Amino acid sequence: MKTIAIYSIKGGVGKTATAVNLSYLSSLHSLPSLICDLDPQGASSFYFRITASKKFNSDKFLKGNKKIHSHIKATDYEHLDLLPSDFSYRNLDIELSEENKPRKKLKKNLEELSEDYRFIFFDCPPNLTLLSESVFAASDIILVPMIPTTLSMRTYFQLTEFFEDNNLDSSKIRAFFTMVEKRKKMHRDIINEFRNIPGFLTQTIPNNSEVEKMGIYRAPLNAVLPNAIAAKAYRNLWNELSAVLGE
Amino acid sequence: MHTTKTIYLTVTPPEESGLVIEKFLHSGWRLKALSSIKEQFDFYDTFEWNAFEKKVAIVKTNKSLSLVDLNTGRETDSVAFKRNPSIFFPADLPPGKLKERLLSYNDIRAFIKLCSIDSFIRSYHILDDNEKTIGVLTATSLCLEGQNNEGSFPSLISLIPLRGYQEEIEKAVRHNSLGSALDFKELFLWIMSASGQNVQGYSSKISLTLDADASIYESTQRLLQFTLSILQKNEHGIRNDIDTEFLHDYRVAIRRTRSILKQLKGIYDPKETAFYLNTFKELGKLTNPLRDSDVYLLKQETYCNYLPPFLQSSLKPFFCDIDASRKKSYRLFCRYLASSDYQFFLHKWKQFVHQESLPDTGQAPNASLSTRTVAESTIKKAWKKVIRHGRHISTETTDTELHALRIDCKKLRYLLEFFSSIFPPKTIIPVIRKMKELQENLGDFVDLAVQLQFLHNRLSALPAGKEELLSAASIGSLMATLFQKQEEARRQFHKTFRSFDNDETAQLFHDLLSGASAK
Repeated sequence: MKTIAIYSIKGGVGKTATAVNLSYLSSLHSLPSLICDLDPQGASSFYFRITASKKFNSDKFLKGNKKIHSHIKATDYEHLDLLPSDFSYRNLDIELSEENKPRKKLKKNLEELSEDYRFIFFDCPPNLTLLSESVFAASDIILVPMIPTTLSMRTYFQLTEFFEDNNLDSSKIRAFFTMVEKRKKMHRDIINEFRNIPGFLTQTIPNNSEVEKMGIYRAPLNAVLPNAIAAKAYRNLWNELSAVLGE
Repeated sequence: MHTTKTIYLTVTPPEESGLVIEKFLHSGWRLKALSSIKEQFDFYDTFEWNAFEKKVAIVKTNKSLSLVDLNTGRETDSVAFKRNPSIFFPADLPPGKLKERLLSYNDIRAFIKLCSIDSFIRSYHILDDNEKTIGVLTATSLCLEGQNNEGSFPSLISLIPLRGYQEEIEKAVRHNSLGSALDFKELFLWIMSASGQNVQGYSSKISLTLDADASIYESTQRLLQFTLSILQKNEHGIRNDIDTEFLHDYRVAIRRTRSILKQLKGIYDPKETAFYLNTFKELGKLTNPLRDSDVYLLKQETYCNYLPPFLQSSLKPFFCDIDASRKKSYRLFCRYLASSDYQFFLHKWKQFVHQESLPDTGQAPNASLSTRTVAESTIKKAWKKVIRHGRHISTETTDTELHALRIDCKKLRYLLEFFSSIFPPKTIIPVIRKMKELQENLGDFVDLAVQLQFLHNRLSALPAGKEELLSAASIGSLMATLFQKQEEARRQFHKTFRSFDNDETAQLFHDLLSGASAK
């Protein structure tokens, strides 16, 4: 089992679109994938038209394995399941802090799923909290979508510094540029400056209205419009990431 | 991996299935048509229902053969299978899990087509109010192949929830009280009964429950009626040459019949039974050549594996000859089965085993004794005989001695099986288990002796000449291997017998026969 966190301190960078499309692409290889929606906003659950059962909440999530297992739902796509988020996840951090060894909690809670899934994707909320630290410990790769802007770059450096300060393995971090507008000089410059440095993937995702329309289709772009420019870009991104994962 | 449970519903009358579906969708859900297909399902099992015993249905569609768990209705294994045979053997299937499983159910019997069902299946995605697919609904109408009896069978609706939607779908079914729930096993049994199959209607094991206090005459009549039914049930399989076990069970039924008539003395008029005993003996003899051929043909692979590869192909003529002689024996025996002699004999025998009035006490003084009395005394006598003869076997352990002891053991084993129902299982089962070990040793020995003799005859009959050299070498090698095995069985005999003839077994027999065993 390989675990991939789609993470960014900053909001609105296309985390959910990335998580939804990459998890969908990973499931096409017949081995099952799971996407864990960790964001209380539940955007990836929304994209897959899934709502959590009334009995599911952050409490159950923290209880782990069996409780998680029974609340996983199938998406409309074969070999792709989703653990929906619940609005109660907004308190996940507080509840996590009351747990014993909170940073290892997520990893421990998902242990039993390793037999069921080839890939697990975490769609993370935009912040840097105890939950994020728990995600870092549980993930093989921390995939950071970045808009090529100064503020975005700043959050990237905040993240790498955090890793260094806390003795975390920063080699897990992989960044890539998203919502790229080639006509903007600043975008071009930033991409040129960073795309070849270690830790940055070369594939970029264009700012494309098709991606935004995922909210209307409520389905992965790659499932609905596999020939769209952004869909092709996600496909290349997945191939690049697969190589990093040794797949 | 997580699995959901399919919900099966039956709808009677079948035309109401549309209404049921409509009711199910009341909660704001809708259906999206997926496909509409006509498919034929064929069901297979062995004559002894070995798959059903393991709670499995074997279902064939036009492309594949599948094992379906009778409890969950889920397909557990599947293999591409484009043929449409009336029987198949698991050994002929492509390697894989399905083959292994069928071989583990029964590696010798044919799987026979039980029935064919035509089905018309319409499938839909079930979408919830978010347009999310939460399951698949299939509406199926069934009828026996080629018969237009659609109206007489209930319609089937199956609801296959996607992961995470079991509860919601179950709730909708409950809430709208749709049709009646049906599990896959019920569906299977329903199909079997519609096609006239008697599920688990055959077992060669003696499954009668005898009354210990009833007269022995009444009990032996019931036993003889049972062996007669086994005889008759296997005739069809022999005639159609389905697998070797029909003849095997047929022969066991003959031996059991003879054993009842011969071992239980004073129950019938000996003048009357002499005719039947003799006819059954002859009938048994008639089956010998066919059974012998079957045994060798079943051993074909084992025999080849005993030989170095360069000699293996030289055994081919040997098996070709056996195959040819089998064909001849088969034809002869089938002719006999169809003969009026045989039919007349069976008719008479049937009348005999259904006679209710006790025979004349002068000719049959023991007929009115209780079943328990006769069972205990005959088992005791037969057991003592096994012990006495076994202890007399010399250190040389000659063939004759072992042959004779094998027959004694077989007699005792039959008696234990005939009367097992009047003893508590906890006393009879360990006794039978003890017997089994000894019988296996003796069985191996005698079988090997018979095979060696057969091969020896074959070798002697080979024409002289260089071209037969390899044939002779292969038979010679085979004989050497079988001889080693026979000697091994001979060496093992005294040890095996000692573990039978000990205080523990004596105690087991004592408990069984002391009356302490009374239920």
